[in-house]
Amino acid sequence: MMLMMNKNMVKLMLWLAAVYLLVPWMLSGNHYVMSTVVAALVIGGVALSWALLGNLGGMVSFGHAAFFGVGAYVSALASIKLNLPVLLAIPLGGLGAVLASVAMLPALRLRGPYFALAILAYAHIFRIIATEWRQVTGGSGGVAQIPGLPTIMGFDFSSKLGAYLVVLTLVLLFALLYRHIRSSHYGIALRAMHASEDATRVVGVNSTLLKGMMLLVSAFMAGVFGAFNAHTINFLEPDYAFSSLWVTLPIVAAIFGGYRTIAGPILGALVVYLADQLLFKSLMPIGHQLVLGVLLVAMIALSPTGLLPLARKIMPRKKNA
Amino acid sequence: MTQLVLQALYSGLLQGGSYALIALGLALVFGTMKVINLAHGELVLLAAYIAYAIESGLDLGPMFAIPVALVIVSLASMSVCFIVSRVRQDREINSLILTYGIGVILTNLILLIWKADVHSSGSSWLQEAFVLGPFYSMRSEVLFFMVSLVLMGALWWWLSRSWYGRALRAVAANRDAATLMGVDPGRTELVSFLVAGLLAAFAGVALFSYGVIQPAYGGALTVKAFIITVLAGIGSIPGVLVGAILLGVAEALTVTLASSALQELAGMTLFLLVLLLMPNGLFGAQRRRG
Repeated sequence: MMLMMNKNMVKLMLWLAAVYLLVPWMLSGNHYVMSTVVAALVIGGVALSWALLGNLGGMVSFGHAAFFGVGAYVSALASIKLNLPVLLAIPLGGLGAVLASVAMLPALRLRGPYFALAILAYAHIFRIIATEWRQVTGGSGGVAQIPGLPTIMGFDFSSKLGAYLVVLTLVLLFALLYRHIRSSHYGIALRAMHASEDATRVVGVNSTLLKGMMLLVSAFMAGVFGAFNAHTINFLEPDYAFSSLWVTLPIVAAIFGGYRTIAGPILGALVVYLADQLLFKSLMPIGHQLVLGVLLVAMIALSPTGLLPLARKIMPRKKNA
Repeated sequence: MTQLVLQALYSGLLQGGSYALIALGLALVFGTMKVINLAHGELVLLAAYIAYAIESGLDLGPMFAIPVALVIVSLASMSVCFIVSRVRQDREINSLILTYGIGVILTNLILLIWKADVHSSGSSWLQEAFVLGPFYSMRSEVLFFMVSLVLMGALWWWLSRSWYGRALRAVAANRDAATLMGVDPGRTELVSFLVAGLLAAFAGVALFSYGVIQPAYGGALTVKAFIITVLAGIGSIPGVLVGAILLGVAEALTVTLASSALQELAGMTLFLLVLLLMPNGLFGAQRRRG
């Protein structure tokens, strides 16, 4: 048993060393690939937050662009207008997204497609607010010169390498949080709800409260990644911050990797986004998202639980061998 | 001022006609298959682009595009049905994501073929003013409002009198009972997608005749159609027409009294209000709460 633990620990350390040291070292010369990897991890983070809501809460959202955009705007404006340090502004962006999701709580009473489209309606409303509330958001012209990540102890986090390390840490922290929720007694109740919501209610679980909490957590995660993204690209406009891309890409990534797993959405985002940007975009400059759509349809039609579970089925882990 | 408001009411009424056609397709499919086809707006847009292709390529009016659009769009709609019926597990969630993916495919196909430019009909006959008492509109608006009314009448007749129409309503009401009565639910679903495609083809040609089209517009059309079905409550054609006119009027009034940038907000607010306050819609008795 101890030996197993140690083996797993060693494995984990090797993995961490690889993603924190080996990847930056390998990509250090290539700025374009590095910034694409950073963007892919941002999408991976949103995909994780989408999958959390779908897997634990049993809700499909087409409105994650709202959380992403609200997080981005709150953080950017807090750092510009209130002169808040960027590292404080980013979690504040997450809280802004939570506030936005509180407005969505009444929609939790709705079932399946009604919830999905009600969330979409909220997302549209937030985009219109960002466009029309000119005094604060700068309207459709957007917000420019958003301060970047700071320099701490001589290390410039606004560099490509710094951004990579920050976003990687954020993704890993949220993955830990997700794992923690899933294995807590909340997670057990949520899994029971997935099997039968009525039965779970009967034994005394407040399912609406639990779903609401998942919505808030998911909103916080997406908001933090929106905020981080705003401080790395230093510019925001409503059509970008609330773009449907922040819905499409995470959904494709989560479905591709397997939205019932934790690693699936993150790995899915890396594969899908890197393939999209480095391969499909150069092959067909216009309409390369076509490939994403085909991927999504193929995955749902052939293996709706994603590639990761499929891979595990084909190559079962050698147990006690 | 009163004149402006009345004019907005009139324009909204005309707009509601083709909105109703889009929403009816969505509602039919939802009725039989319990699936919201998120690619429905893109099907409508496909028809609009076919009309554009025929007008710009062959120099024929948009009306001549109707036969071509009918064939292509209903085939596309039936392919959606074919793919959606493959989904077995977690049907509700997976079919939503699936049709969303089909919508992404169609949007990007349109983008690939016709580029991102905004298009509208060049037909001067269709765009000529049509004056009715104190009200103004384009000829195309009145024409297609009439077409929608006729189509809705035909649909009502078909649903209540023909064998397939009745089968469709039977499957929508109780799938298992309908199967026991000898109705093939799979076939009925296919028919509902076919009819949805036919309606979408007319709606698309109408859209191109009086408005502007661009590749990203499909999603907004789906949302509008869904808003209308929510307003109407599912199960009545007159309900859908009233819901569609309500949405058209709300949008037109917002544009007249506030600004055109807020047009979408009107529909969304109406949607959320009805969904949260009157979850059975204005006319229906469908249960939506969890």
